[in-house]
Amino acid sequence: MSEPSPADRRIGVYVCSCGGNISDYVDVPQVIERVRDEPGVVVARRAMFTCSDATQQEIIADIRQQRLDGLVVASCSPKLHTETFRAVARRAGLNPYQYTQVNIREQCSWAHTDDHDGATGKAIGLVRAGIARTARTRPLEPITVETVPRALVIGGGITGLRAALALADLGLGVFLVEREATLGGWVGGFGAMFPHDRDGRTLIAGLVDRVRAREEITVFTGAEVVSRSGSFGNYRAGIRVSGTGTGIGANGGPDPKTAESITVEVGAVLVATGFDTYEPGEGELGYGQGGVLTLPQFKTLVDATDGPLTHQGRPVRTIAYIYCVGSRQPHGTPGANEHCSRFCCTATVHTALRVSARDASVRQYHLYRDMRSYGKYELLFDASRRAGSRYLKVVDDQPPEVAAQDGPAGGLTVTAHDALAGGEELALPVDLVVLVTGAVPRANEELTGVLKIPVGTDRFYNEIHPKLRPVETVVDGVTIAGACQGPKTSIEAVTSGLAAVAQSAAILKRGHAELDPLVAVVDPLACGWCDRCQDSCPYGAIGRAKRGESEVAVIDETVCKGCGGCVPVCPRDAIDLHGYTDTQITSMIDGLAEAVA
Amino acid sequence: MTTTLDPDLADQIGLPGTFAATACTNCGVCTAVCPAGLDLLPRRLMHLVLLGAADRLRAETETIYSCLLCGLCEEQCPAGVRITDTMRALRHYCNRTTFGL
Repeated sequence: MSEPSPADRRIGVYVCSCGGNISDYVDVPQVIERVRDEPGVVVARRAMFTCSDATQQEIIADIRQQRLDGLVVASCSPKLHTETFRAVARRAGLNPYQYTQVNIREQCSWAHTDDHDGATGKAIGLVRAGIARTARTRPLEPITVETVPRALVIGGGITGLRAALALADLGLGVFLVEREATLGGWVGGFGAMFPHDRDGRTLIAGLVDRVRAREEITVFTGAEVVSRSGSFGNYRAGIRVSGTGTGIGANGGPDPKTAESITVEVGAVLVATGFDTYEPGEGELGYGQGGVLTLPQFKTLVDATDGPLTHQGRPVRTIAYIYCVGSRQPHGTPGANEHCSRFCCTATVHTALRVSARDASVRQYHLYRDMRSYGKYELLFDASRRAGSRYLKVVDDQPPEVAAQDGPAGGLTVTAHDALAGGEELALPVDLVVLVTGAVPRANEELTGVLKIPVGTDRFYNEIHPKLRPVETVVDGVTIAGACQGPKTSIEAVTSGLAAVAQSAAILKRGHAELDPLVAVVDPLACGWCDRCQDSCPYGAIGRAKRGESEVAVIDETVCKGCGGCVPVCPRDAIDLHGYTDTQITSMIDGLAEAVA
Repeated sequence: MTTTLDPDLADQIGLPGTFAATACTNCGVCTAVCPAGLDLLPRRLMHLVLLGAADRLRAETETIYSCLLCGLCEEQCPAGVRITDTMRALRHYCNRTTFGL
């Protein structure tokens, strides 16, 4: 292949000041001065903010006028702006894979604020390395994969049901898998819910009717996803149907009523597996004794009748709610739930309002740590106070205590220090104690292993970026939605479900997807098949094929993530990584070493 | 000392219909503006009434009778709590319960 030698390349180098983030510590003019004569460099400029539109336009003009065939931007982390400047290259007609991002902020200026000369020297080395790599790049084209126009939705709660309908509305086929025997999840068991008092069971019944009526949607209940193979756009998922599968056999799939284990082909996977509620330990705030209920148990009690509240045959005249049970646990305790569960303050306030509306004489004491009835739900909090609910602020180091009252009348006494009463110890005689339990992550180890979704330290599923890529995971084509990602109200859960639908549809509706071509390639003439590369691949991307009399390794470029793990284990150096070839890496080391010397 | 709450206290006091202390958000404006420097400042007094801390209230006659009824706190209250009306009702309550009048 005839490629220009590095000295004959036409490379543009742009060194960013980042408004002082870099230039306060790195002598940017000196960096420019020291790299402008590197082999292949024809343009070297500085910029206050390289990512600004004005500088992007300037780069585009340079690429066109100077006929650049390589681009280096020395600025922040590649995680921030690789795609930005690849797009700049693309707009100017330069192959985006001939662009190199050099990190002189996170890995240089910010790390060496106490050593300006050292930081400047390091920046020069890093930029030289970037130039050396760029001088050895060649144009690469994205890998195009055909996508299957169907999605797998895991979880048949409010999020999964609504997402399934939205996918069907877009003309995509859907397989909806629910582990329980019936659809509906938590919301399917609730009566009136905040903020509009609509009945959860009715909402779910309506959704289930609509889902059942759609030919595009195949429902599996009592079913679990047990395997996943293939790659982005063409996943094969194994579904184990135990008990009564209730699918309708659309999409040409087998009739799940008779199938025990079936495989479906889908282009994307939407995970909406929801949450569990916290189960208090025996004796935790009196849990286990009569009259102490969790929030879901109390909601069931309120939903069960329109008449006066009774519990175990006793009328309920006074109620104490203890907030944040199982949420916001102290930092440092192993397995602690440090998160706020978001929905419980408002759900409790809303339930208290329903109790007041039924019988205004029921006394309700709320023992809160911080009220988080945020946004519009503040109005419910306000309404509950006007309806007679009393709020006591308990402090973290003096938690309330719950004890049974002496005497035949039964009842409970809650003892608490109320910060609003000057920290006085108050004793509340009550008929019922409601422990306001929040959300905890579901125990889903098997599914997590099958899908390889990353789990955070909080044990909920992790998105790529909380603001900009809030439903995508690092596994291409696998999105997360609803409370499997962290505590959410049903409103927020459905919103994220629809966001995941949009992300999935963005891939599936085009019929094809483009993948980064930064993958490993095997030189079949050098390969002697020894299986070491296959063992080293965490993605199962390497197989073997006959080549004449011998066998060689072949890499499925749609499965390969370009991690490079196979490259160094090959005893014959038969594997190279596009975009990070041995030649490029060696040249980068040389560039760095030269600067240090 | 533990104060046992009587949930029906507010009813016993016979608070005026204009009483709106349930709307109190404990913001503390009443406390900040009080010119009398009461031992037990308005917001805490309102809170004890709401909770039903009867014993504590009956022990606070000094505060309840020291209030000037000037209404400065009421003027400033963002939640519109009728503090002076409540003070008057509390005096009636103390007259009945503490002094047997």
